[in-house]
Amino acid sequence: MNCPTKRNEDAEILLDYCAQALSPEQTAEFEIHLAQCADCSRLVEAQKEVWSALEAWTPAPVSTNFDARLYARIAAEEAQAGPAWQLWLRRIFHPPVPYPLWKSAVPLVAACAVLAAGLAVRMPDATTAAQPQLHADKVDIEQVEQTLEDFDILTPAVQSPAGSM
Amino acid sequence: MALIPAQPSTNPGVKKDMEAVAALDRDAELMLRVREGDDTSFALLLERHRGPVVHFLYRMVQNPSVSEELAQEVFLRVYRSRATYEPTAKFTTWLFRIATHLALNWVRDGKKEKGHESLDEQVVEGVDRQVRDRQPTIEQAMLYEVKMTEVRQAIEALPAKQRAAVLMHKYEELEYAQIARALNCSESAVKSLLFRAYESLRSRLAHMAG
Repeated sequence: MNCPTKRNEDAEILLDYCAQALSPEQTAEFEIHLAQCADCSRLVEAQKEVWSALEAWTPAPVSTNFDARLYARIAAEEAQAGPAWQLWLRRIFHPPVPYPLWKSAVPLVAACAVLAAGLAVRMPDATTAAQPQLHADKVDIEQVEQTLEDFDILTPAVQSPAGSM
Repeated sequence: MALIPAQPSTNPGVKKDMEAVAALDRDAELMLRVREGDDTSFALLLERHRGPVVHFLYRMVQNPSVSEELAQEVFLRVYRSRATYEPTAKFTTWLFRIATHLALNWVRDGKKEKGHESLDEQVVEGVDRQVRDRQPTIEQAMLYEVKMTEVRQAIEALPAKQRAAVLMHKYEELEYAQIARALNCSESAVKSLLFRAYESLRSRLAHMAG
């Protein structure tokens, strides 16, 4: 066994021995070392004295109204927390029990559905809005025919072959 | 707060968490019930830990009224955090982490001077208790008084982190890993803190043998 006074890493065993936190096997092993090591023996004695000095320090008892004061503070905080609707909002956003991950997707899916429905409602408006444009572009066939005839009239007649005059 | 006996939870989420912490500790199970809205479990937790928390803080700040004030804040924080509580560690580790944080802040902010009550008042309390318990002679009472003053001063002289480590190790019997989490440092750092702290205490208190 390494001597606990030689290496800080091994000092734990010394503290645990004084705190009676070692297993019976570890205690036995350390006691064999103690019997041979004067440094460790001195240290253990000094540590035991510290231990007993600390044990003698008993703190003042807790006030009898400690709980009452605490509950009064909790009640005051809850009263200050606001109306019931705020409490409900908090419960929604900070639920006391965590729920499965897929449940978090529900509001997102709902929002997408509302958005899609809104777009679908707006689509017919878009087709009807395009309609006047199509009317404006509609070609009047009669007018075109008339223009072509006028064009023919204005165009000089094609010269006939000489034999035909 | 309604005083209803703690019942096994029917909530599947809580049941699952409880199974997970079954190996951890009973306190975590109680805290999960508090999370569910069971105030009786909070009362049970308070009953179990009120003393250790107040006493730890008393030894940290060495002032009875301040220690109770800080302990109230510890339990308030526990209650406030109930909705988001997750049993990732032992409940006592979390509890002492909060207590240590508050105590170290109080020491760091130099509030000691403002709220410090006379040491004599505490000494008288100790002597009174001793007189009531064992009926010592005046001489014994005086010796006890001197001894306790030295112990208090030796603890007070330690740097705040060393003091917290010693108090959690000696009086609350927390494991090194728990102290490490409470102090937000590694286990080896805790061992080093403890070794140095006990070294200082040995040099100051070793003469008190017998």
